[in-house]
Amino acid sequence: MRAKEHSAEWVLLLAVLVIATCGLIYELVAGTLASYLLGDSVMQFSTIIGVYLFSMGVGSFLSKYLSGNLLHWFIRIELLVGAVGGFSAAILFLVFPLAASFQVILYSLVGLTGILVGLEIPLLMRILEHKVEFKELVSRVFTFDYIGALLASLIFPLILVPRLGLIRTSLFFGILNIGVGFYLLYFFSAELKKAGLLRVTAVVLLLLELVAFVLSENILRYSETMAYNDQIVYAKSSTYQRIVLTRNKREMRLFLNGNLQFSSADEYRYHEALVHPALSSIDNPKRVLVLGGGDGLAVRELLRYASVEKITLVDLDPEMTRLFRSQSILLKLNGNSLLNPKVKVINSDAFIWLRNNTETFDAVVVDFPDPSGFSIGKLYSTLFYNYLKPALKENGVAVIQSTSPYVAPNSFWCVDETLKSVGFFTKPYHNYVPSFGEWGYIIAVRKNKESWFQHLPSSLRYLNATTLQQMFVFPDDMKAKIKLQPNKLNNQALVHYFEEEWGKFLD
Amino acid sequence: MKRRTFIKLSIAAGSAAAIGLSCKGKRRVKGSVKGASSSIGHLLREQILGEPVSFIKKEVVIVGSGISGLSAARQLHRKGLKDFLMLELEEYAGGNAASGHNEISSFPLGAHYVPIPNPGLQDYLDFLKEEDVITSFDGNGLPVYNEAYLCFDPEERLFINGHWQDGLVPSFGVPETDLKQIAGFLSKMQQFRLEKGSDGKDAFAIPVNNSSTDIQYRKLDEITMKQWMEINGFTSTYLQWYVNYCTRDDFGTCYHECSAWAGIHYFAGRKGVASNATYSDVLTWPEGNGFLVSKLEKAVQQNILTGSLVIGVELKEEKVVVKYLDVAKKEVRAVIAEHCILCVPQFVAARLLKDKNRVEIIKQKFRYTPWMVVNIVTPTLEERSGEVMSWDNVIYNSQSLGYVNATHQLLQQQVPRKNLTYYLPLTSKDPSSARKEASEITHDEWVQLLINDLKIVHPDIEDKMEEVNITLWGHAMAQPLPGMIHGGLRNQLSESIAGKIHFAHTDLAGISIFEEGFYQGINAANKIINYAASV
Repeated sequence: MRAKEHSAEWVLLLAVLVIATCGLIYELVAGTLASYLLGDSVMQFSTIIGVYLFSMGVGSFLSKYLSGNLLHWFIRIELLVGAVGGFSAAILFLVFPLAASFQVILYSLVGLTGILVGLEIPLLMRILEHKVEFKELVSRVFTFDYIGALLASLIFPLILVPRLGLIRTSLFFGILNIGVGFYLLYFFSAELKKAGLLRVTAVVLLLLELVAFVLSENILRYSETMAYNDQIVYAKSSTYQRIVLTRNKREMRLFLNGNLQFSSADEYRYHEALVHPALSSIDNPKRVLVLGGGDGLAVRELLRYASVEKITLVDLDPEMTRLFRSQSILLKLNGNSLLNPKVKVINSDAFIWLRNNTETFDAVVVDFPDPSGFSIGKLYSTLFYNYLKPALKENGVAVIQSTSPYVAPNSFWCVDETLKSVGFFTKPYHNYVPSFGEWGYIIAVRKNKESWFQHLPSSLRYLNATTLQQMFVFPDDMKAKIKLQPNKLNNQALVHYFEEEWGKFLD
Repeated sequence: MKRRTFIKLSIAAGSAAAIGLSCKGKRRVKGSVKGASSSIGHLLREQILGEPVSFIKKEVVIVGSGISGLSAARQLHRKGLKDFLMLELEEYAGGNAASGHNEISSFPLGAHYVPIPNPGLQDYLDFLKEEDVITSFDGNGLPVYNEAYLCFDPEERLFINGHWQDGLVPSFGVPETDLKQIAGFLSKMQQFRLEKGSDGKDAFAIPVNNSSTDIQYRKLDEITMKQWMEINGFTSTYLQWYVNYCTRDDFGTCYHECSAWAGIHYFAGRKGVASNATYSDVLTWPEGNGFLVSKLEKAVQQNILTGSLVIGVELKEEKVVVKYLDVAKKEVRAVIAEHCILCVPQFVAARLLKDKNRVEIIKQKFRYTPWMVVNIVTPTLEERSGEVMSWDNVIYNSQSLGYVNATHQLLQQQVPRKNLTYYLPLTSKDPSSARKEASEITHDEWVQLLINDLKIVHPDIEDKMEEVNITLWGHAMAQPLPGMIHGGLRNQLSESIAGKIHFAHTDLAGISIFEEGFYQGINAANKIINYAASV
């Protein structure tokens, strides 16, 4: 009996080691994940460690309310820790795109794990209370607790994160937790009466975590799918951006870095409005330049003009243009436009390309992403438009996609102001694209022009002579309310307007 | 398992893990430490180089090809005096404004920007117009600056109280009383900026020698910036940090050592006007002032002889004999010239002239700050909260002046890897001990110092940095200590010797900025041209 007592003590102390290791691992997983998803690692780690330690205190406090078969409680908690901690990373990945208040869930999970781990040590000390001398007990329990902590903090960055990843790390320790619980059930079966339910629970949890461990790759994929509502049909990170294509029964959508670029259901509204007001105002356009627009949809519209001989498309990302030249669903969408022999695709930085360019064009279509950062803001600057000017023939027409004049009137009219400040004459207009909302464009010409829109192609789905006229009327709620600065590289005025206006809109 | 065995095992496992950790820990970062060729320069102190093996004749010899030297050369060339030779110790021209480049971009090895020029500096404005830095003049005659060279937004950020704020004047988390003092200080500086003396000159002008000599301004040169601040009740620690940052930034001198006149000049000297910029804007390039070097040296490149250590300059029968060591061939040669311009720091000039009295004066009065400039190659780094990476990135209370992003002025969208240029004036000790100490620090130790400073704002910098190249400037700039600006010594040392040997260097100008070097060079060249015209 004495030998059995003795080994029982050691089994329990080993359990402390495992629990301490697991506990710290869950805390590190939460901290790392929060840094990944929310940024600012110093902030995330310190708040998570704080909440975790505090919750352990709460757990220790609550431990005095537990009575009855303490061993029974100990195993129950062991299983609970295994379940909560084990699934924590997977849960956090899944809820990140869904929950508005991700932090609430994050801290609840950290708090719950902390409370459960905090319960364990006092509980264990009570179990061993009369079996070991007090000073020996305190010394041993805490020694194992802290060894476990050291172990966890070493293997986490060195082995676990690089080898297993976060989801599998937390599942692995969940399995370990439950394994310990299971072993204790077996070891102390004599002292545990009516432990049948506990045993079944342990087995079920163990199986669940094992399955999740095997399927963890899918969880990660699923979490991205959730962020996009629809089925992801293509997802790839190029050197420059994350390209994601989704589709549902009705439409296909392209996202670059999570920002919607088009929906197949209504992109014609955008691309017809982008291309035709400018192109229809040129007599026999021959050479056209497209900056951005690697999806080939603007090119599709340009190819409606029989006089066009050559289209030069400059897009930064070769992965984009490759995709829209090779995937059959995308080829159907752009009508094989990028495979047309008239089209020359150049994968290069638009600013650098334009600075070195000596060719002149009848039309230039500028279709960049919105000016949401200082980098992209350069492509809407006075210097950029100064380089654009010599690329446009004297009678040529340029058009620039210029974000939403409804959501961001200051941004929209700032682009107008910028173009005018370098000597362009402008014609701003807008239309409604359901998946974007109210959208704006600006036509820019080097000389004032008398006749407009003489050569509008027939058989367009959205534009005709009447809808075209309407686009140039701006109601008051799409006008700028302040005196605007032109966007220059040394003030990046547009990016500041844009951040303010879209920031408010998305809050 | 026995208790003892278990503990043994745990300890073994723990220490194995610890060893594993430490093995992984220290990664050697690629790079080197380079200094202005001090080991060759120190040959000067030894007198065992022998007699010249060849003599050539030139109208003018220019010693040193920093901004002063290049500017003198360009001026001679423009005025049609083309028979001159410029001798440079290093393998390239540029001095403090030299630059380097790698596959990502160019980057500065020292000076890296110029503010919008003050009005009336006609030669300087002409130079900038010639080189397309000024693209045109508007209807009001104001210069229009090339937008590719005006510093792009976001220009500056300061990491303070755990956050990157916009601009360098402390504001985030700064108490109201300090903010009030800062505002009061800046408005006082603004007042100085606009003030003129009874002689009609600007109180604080560029070049410094164009400033008013009224007594109330001259008196500012008798105390330190710190003393002036205390007298005027500017005691806020945030403000004092900022002013100390500024005097270290421009003059390599702490505010408790810097002349108050020079300290105020930092804030009050700039009066630039432009069609598309203001006096507080700056012009910059990936290679820093290396851009201006390449423009200055364009026309005179064939006159520059690099790898040439000048070892003596003396007057002999109405001529100036300049002896130099061809460093590669280890041969002494001589040039016999009508004139010589010494575009080197005064401690070097005095030794070349072998004038013991001059050497002694300079030893007593001139102090040169050593600087360390580091170029770091790194991919995108983790960021703390607040403003995004700017051109100039400064950390509150750091020993360093922070870093400048050399790729900031690139036009392209994607710059996945960057060159960051980190500046550290070694002002914590007296210059000669700091210099000695710096020369003994290994590359690994510099790297560790850098990591300790920058990991506060980029926690992953240690793992991410790919290359760290260190440039040590032993005598980067002369300090504007009290008395240097208005004490008269500068004028005395600037006097030409026998109308034949002339001096041009920013240490004679009082402060080390581009415009001073530019005008030092032009003025020395003009002396020679006027002399030639009068003969």
